[in-house]
Amino acid sequence: MANFNIDSKKARTYDAIVIGSGISGGWSAKELTERGLKTLVLERGRDVQHITDYPTTNMMPWEFEHRERMPLAITEANPIVSRCYNFKESSAHFFVKDNEHPYVQEKPFDWIRGYQVGGKSLLWARQTQRWSKYDFEGPARDKFAVEWPIGYDDIAPWYSHVEKFAGITGNKDGLDTLPDGEFMTPHDLNCVEKYFKEQVSKQYKDRHMIIGRAAHITDPQQIHLDQGRAKCQNRTMCERGCPFGGYFSSNASTIPWAMKTGNMTLRPHSVVHSVIYDEKKQKVTGVRVIDANTKEMMEFYANIIFVNAAALNTNLILMNSISSRFPNGLGNDSGVLGKYVAFHNYRASISGEYEGFLDSTTDGRRPNSGYIPRFRNVYKQETDFLRGYAAGFGADRRTSTDRSGMGESLKSNLLKTNYGNWSVGSHMMGETIPKESNYVALDKDLKDAYGIPQLKISVGYDDNDEKMVKDYIEQVTEMFTNAGFKNIRANDGNRAPGNDIHEMGGVRMGKDPKTSMLNKWNQLHAAKNVFVTDGACMTSTSTQNPSLSYMAFSARAVDHAVKEMKAKNL
Amino acid sequence: MERRVALKGMAAAMGAMAVLPAWASGWSKETLTKRALLPAEQSKILAGMVESIIPKTDTPGAGELGVGDFVQKMVKDCYDKKTQDNLAKGVDSLESQSMKIFGKSFADAGKDQKIQLLQEMEKSSDPDQKAFFGLVKNLTIQGYMSSEYVMTNLTHYEMIPARYHGCVPIKQ
Repeated sequence: MANFNIDSKKARTYDAIVIGSGISGGWSAKELTERGLKTLVLERGRDVQHITDYPTTNMMPWEFEHRERMPLAITEANPIVSRCYNFKESSAHFFVKDNEHPYVQEKPFDWIRGYQVGGKSLLWARQTQRWSKYDFEGPARDKFAVEWPIGYDDIAPWYSHVEKFAGITGNKDGLDTLPDGEFMTPHDLNCVEKYFKEQVSKQYKDRHMIIGRAAHITDPQQIHLDQGRAKCQNRTMCERGCPFGGYFSSNASTIPWAMKTGNMTLRPHSVVHSVIYDEKKQKVTGVRVIDANTKEMMEFYANIIFVNAAALNTNLILMNSISSRFPNGLGNDSGVLGKYVAFHNYRASISGEYEGFLDSTTDGRRPNSGYIPRFRNVYKQETDFLRGYAAGFGADRRTSTDRSGMGESLKSNLLKTNYGNWSVGSHMMGETIPKESNYVALDKDLKDAYGIPQLKISVGYDDNDEKMVKDYIEQVTEMFTNAGFKNIRANDGNRAPGNDIHEMGGVRMGKDPKTSMLNKWNQLHAAKNVFVTDGACMTSTSTQNPSLSYMAFSARAVDHAVKEMKAKNL
Repeated sequence: MERRVALKGMAAAMGAMAVLPAWASGWSKETLTKRALLPAEQSKILAGMVESIIPKTDTPGAGELGVGDFVQKMVKDCYDKKTQDNLAKGVDSLESQSMKIFGKSFADAGKDQKIQLLQEMEKSSDPDQKAFFGLVKNLTIQGYMSSEYVMTNLTHYEMIPARYHGCVPIKQ
């Protein structure tokens, strides 16, 4: 029996464990296995194999019985996920039902989750803008949160590393506020977008409109073909999973790549309960898992643990990892675990029309849009609020059909396209300031289906956010007006935090163990063999879509971890 | 190389599509019933109505393309009880108007007679009748325009455009 236990324990022991298989977990797995580490990847949801598990990917519009609209019984039972823009008939199976993993909202917070291999990397918006030095320097200059322990130069080579593999389309715009990366052929801006770009450059010396940088293969390189991925075919139905691997997801890219090394064991249906701290050895030795099918609790062991469960679930796991040494959650000597959670403010949008280029239109589809990098408070403080916002921008030729009457005239009118003005639109992506009062914690009483405490989320807007919404509306309205756009309408959508799906923080990086959880290598200050490289690690949010930074943090942290392990420091 | 990889992927995906795994339809299975919203008689009247809105010409009309069933399915699954009740009520009042004015069922009325009845409904001062007509007309247009026949043969839907050109002249 004793021998059996030893053998069984040995069979459950790996060099490294990665919790989560989304954007950051996939990258951790790829980098660890490439360096020869036997790696266990734990995923709480089911497996989703590239292509074979994309059941809707080649369905035609008429094959969706409600033409992508979700039935009322579903939206009424699932109000939270139903507010997500990407939740529809063709993609619903990649989203978590509201009652599947309940949580407590102290303030309204739409927590959007994808529990399957690949996580939300199947569903993301694929925008991949780098941070600049002005973004990393934010907290130190403006005296909020804590200083980032790293700067742009530390992460720049890792941005390059992940961009080459993931495949990023973009234009080298030469902006110091949004550094260029390793880009393939950029997507086209259309006539009105080009016109607006020229107008913005003419009228503002510090404002720009560029084509977004996005994780789409426009010019496949050998490294993409080696992954079995091909050129993006402009279907713009990415949320179904892409049979071409045209956009980056863990499923199309990092997970099969890690599998090919022969060093990865992927274990779906594995809900992580907590990280194990061995009081005798005075170190973290593994992970406690509840098998989602059998509800059996089991343990897995490894020298290095990467926590990539997605920002808030990473917080939850660390808070639920209680020991005599860490009675308030793993690595939480500072008491900041779960605090300083922030997000991106996506509340406002602006629409309008342009009456030029009436003899032109667009042809085909584009899985990308224009992007206005942050221009507020970049070089110095200039407004009555801190930080600023980036903005999306896009134009499209508006078409309509005459739907009046009925009978044969209606029938023939429906097949005639009437071209209207161009419609133009923008939405804000505002930086929010991490505060102690925006936090997550474990609920004292409520538990989920696995007996794990439910997460209590208390995250809201503040005065800074309100001022920023107002400024975005004023400034972009002015930019639209100056460009000659008409019928300009601003909308403050009253969107709850979380709906941006950019929640960050709670396990922040910092220089001082007294005020932060992680050091500059994403290691827990107080448990050096535990690394957090998903959104939980973020000290501040800046305005860029964050996934590219999580990829870079993951690759950089693995490189450090393996070096430390080889030097016998871990 | 690129094309070969892509086609291989497509072939695999096509194979996977034949039967949806249980988890893929898990969202709707537990919540949706299979029963039809309207009994057979009313369904026939509704089918006649959508065919009148978009009739057969040298191409199929909405009735032939099954748009009546689509309208029912949408109202049953995506609209509230009040709207569902109003659909049944609207069909009944269309039928009784037909009996009253032409002495025959809507299903048996002539093409122009049907149009006349529907036009009266469109202009009706009764908000329920107006709403009924508007709902059915909108869903008929949606169902027709998104039908396999129209998207394949008339509007030439492209599943895989493989291009984006930002500024091209409009072909008139």
